[in-house]
Amino acid sequence: MGLLDFFTGRGPSSLRGPKADDDLFDDDFQRKLDYLAIVSRKVFSGRMRAERRTKKSGSGIEFADHRDYQPGDDFRYLDWNVYEKFGRLLLRLYEEEEDLAIYFIVDASGSMAFGDGAKLKQAKRLAAALAYVGLANLDRVAIVSTSDQVMDRMPETRGKARIFKVFRFLRALQPAGQTDLGDAMKTFVAQHKRRGLAVLISDLYDPKGFERGINVLRYNKFDPFVVHVTDKRESEPKLAGDVLLYDCESGDEREVTVTQKVLDRFRQIYAEYLGEIEKFCTSRTVPYVQADVSMPFDELILKVFRRGGFLK
Amino acid sequence: MILAGLSFAQMAAIFGAVGAVMVGLYILKLRRRTVAVPFSPLWQRILKDKEATSLFSKLKRLISLLLQLALLALLVLALGDPRAAATLIKGRNVVVLVDASASMQSTDVSPNRLGVAKDEVKSLIRGMGGADRMLIAQMDAAITPLGPMSGDTSDLERAVDAIQPTDARADFARALRFATDTLRGVENGEIVVVSDGDLGVAQDAAGMVHVGDVKLSFMPIGKAKDNVAVTQFSVRRYPLDKSRYEVMLEVTNTGPEVADIELSLLGDGLLVDLTKLRLQPGERLPRFYPNLSGASRTLEAKLQVLGDTKDDLPADDHAYALLPERRRAKVLVVSSGNTYLEAALLLDEYLEVTSASPLDYVTKYASTTKSFDVIVFDQVTPAEMPRANALYLDPRGPGSPVKVEKEIVQPGFDKIERKHPIVRFTALDQVNIARGHKLKPEPGDKVIGASYDGAILVAGTRAGYKFVAMGFDVRESDLPLRVAWPVLLLNTVNWFTDEDASYLSSFRTGDVWRIPVGAQGPQAMMTLPGGAKEQVPVHEGRAVFLGQRSGFYELATAITPAAQKDPKDVPAPGGDESLTQAGGTVRFAANLLDDAESTIGPAEKLTVDGKDAGTVEGFHVGVRREIWILLLIAAVLMTVIEWATYHRRITV
Repeated sequence: MGLLDFFTGRGPSSLRGPKADDDLFDDDFQRKLDYLAIVSRKVFSGRMRAERRTKKSGSGIEFADHRDYQPGDDFRYLDWNVYEKFGRLLLRLYEEEEDLAIYFIVDASGSMAFGDGAKLKQAKRLAAALAYVGLANLDRVAIVSTSDQVMDRMPETRGKARIFKVFRFLRALQPAGQTDLGDAMKTFVAQHKRRGLAVLISDLYDPKGFERGINVLRYNKFDPFVVHVTDKRESEPKLAGDVLLYDCESGDEREVTVTQKVLDRFRQIYAEYLGEIEKFCTSRTVPYVQADVSMPFDELILKVFRRGGFLK
Repeated sequence: MILAGLSFAQMAAIFGAVGAVMVGLYILKLRRRTVAVPFSPLWQRILKDKEATSLFSKLKRLISLLLQLALLALLVLALGDPRAAATLIKGRNVVVLVDASASMQSTDVSPNRLGVAKDEVKSLIRGMGGADRMLIAQMDAAITPLGPMSGDTSDLERAVDAIQPTDARADFARALRFATDTLRGVENGEIVVVSDGDLGVAQDAAGMVHVGDVKLSFMPIGKAKDNVAVTQFSVRRYPLDKSRYEVMLEVTNTGPEVADIELSLLGDGLLVDLTKLRLQPGERLPRFYPNLSGASRTLEAKLQVLGDTKDDLPADDHAYALLPERRRAKVLVVSSGNTYLEAALLLDEYLEVTSASPLDYVTKYASTTKSFDVIVFDQVTPAEMPRANALYLDPRGPGSPVKVEKEIVQPGFDKIERKHPIVRFTALDQVNIARGHKLKPEPGDKVIGASYDGAILVAGTRAGYKFVAMGFDVRESDLPLRVAWPVLLLNTVNWFTDEDASYLSSFRTGDVWRIPVGAQGPQAMMTLPGGAKEQVPVHEGRAVFLGQRSGFYELATAITPAAQKDPKDVPAPGGDESLTQAGGTVRFAANLLDDAESTIGPAEKLTVDGKDAGTVEGFHVGVRREIWILLLIAAVLMTVIEWATYHRRITV
């Protein structure tokens, strides 16, 4: 950051994120985590621990699908009934049961700390809460923070007692850099061979397209779960007149004369952008939850539970 | 195109300096407020539309600058006051003749025709071109230019405001001659006549008035023709009984509808007679009031419309008259005895007759003749002519005012100057005369009666005093037996005392009045009907004045010190000596009494010299053909456009 940037209030120093998130995971928050864990158990009672089914076909007991027989396949899984009816050799596939990892990918780019840093706070709380639920369910939980690359990572861990490790990790997260989910996810998948649920907590402000990051996860057999952190205030900027807009991440400048007409148009574009993301996720069966900063995090967690896909 | 304001170099300097500052300010980039946004690509989407027309955006900024420069150019050019050279040369020279005659006081249009005419002329003034010049003249009985030929609209509008209505008719010929004389030798001359009525043929004593190449335009004023007027009003005392008088008046309905009116006759402001009348369209109704008596001095006739009758011109509803003042005339009769003469003089109670024998005259009265108004010499002719008006009956000798020649037998009044006041109301043709003497008049004398053999009745003036000489003895004729005798005698006395001359029941407005004042001062003070006072010149004992208002006038005269000391001072013939010496007041009345003015139907066209006057053209209110005004308007428009485009974010 140059001297000019300092005086003009640009650059990372203007990312008015919290210097310390000591109050982020206070007692009240932790009590709510317990409550959420109980709720999750009630909602999903009867499930075996670590019985997260993957799409990977294997030796499970629950039928998943058929596929054509290939030489070398185990004859025991041939579906003779089908053969009797249709004369085709099809192999019966079962969902393989294994304890899978849950990866929380927290976007810690500059845009997440825009304004009063409410989006990053919300992202941290959501990550912590979901991680606690995961840990409580004896899942393997890992957290990574990203911008245009994987910035920091918390290795996989299990057990409810590890939640404080999660807290420490999340508290230490500082916003920096530009968003590039594509590159970051490529790095992520390269670093994590074990497939699992990838909960992407981000504002999805990726100049190169939010789709790239999600697609990288999809193509590498991860189960992406998008928690889209939004701030309604960003759709209604308090701007008027001749202004020089600059991107808080890239620093790109644009001269704009803001009129009511322009503001209306921006609101429309913002809504369209949110719509595009939801449509993208829906069309690709990627669970999507919009998490506005104005909503209490516990309500959001329940919303995530109801949306499904996080706990099975 | 020439520049009437700043020179081109000055304009260029101003444009260069201010333009440079303007461009400099434009080049300076507007410092915008910097605002951080979380994700600029969203804004990029908005700007995409604008980017598609980025060239146009840049162009718009350029257009904005060009607009400013054009605005500056217009303002600087306006300072230059550019004018078309042709316009300067070919500006019009307009003489506007505004009719201020009586009919222009008609109220058929609001507030009245003159008011409308003034407004119309002001519109013309505001519609003048930059190089046009105009002269405003009031046209009434005279023509009065109200200012010089000018292009200054404020001066011209002040001139229009100075137009005052009169109770006189318009002398169009005089006005038109004035206008043509004014425009003689001037290019692009135009005469605009603003009038309501038929102005008649433009002909005066010098002949027809020709407008030549000068453009003549006519602006008609007025629309209605409803009017009832007093068109005649006269009063006189009976010659033989001056305590009684008679009034003749005439009312006319010049409008197209039946009119009901109430006619009042006032004497000294008190009602003498009140009559309700109904007048058919165009009807003239004479009214005669005989044998009126009383001490009335002033008489007024007023008419008032009744019911639904419309009367758009109030100026002719009121007429004024003044009865001749009765004054006791002092008469000295120098005779050896003449019953006919004495008897005739007894008929007029306002005569103070003194009889004297020829001897008494020489001894007692010859030196004091100035104290008498009239001296009658019956068969007596004094050696020295008296300093008084004198009637000579059968004069003889060297003292006679006219030379008495041979005797003529049985002369008769074969030739009579019937217009002379002393023979008014007489029939002298049949008078038989036994004998008489032929009188030889001098140059300037008037032969009033003559037989084929020569003059027998002569009137004239000697040394400032009037005389009448009758060339026969009345006792040798049958004249005393006729009614004509006392009438002739009293007419003569009246003529001497100027009672007849001053008998003016009223003057006509629009005429030049010559009011006998009996004073030799250079001027007199005239009190007009409205109370205003005006000095009028006095010429040969008469005040000369062009009267244009109807009503009662008062003329105050005073003898000048120089005149008092002049031993050769000669009183005005027939003038009132006491008035002359002490100064005095003469009252008289004036009336419109003009059928043409009372016929207020507006004329639709004006024909002069056989050609119809055109309509008034080329005067467009609000469009002064001065380019700088247009430039200024363009600059204002451009400012509005710039303001609107800026605030609508079109050029930013």
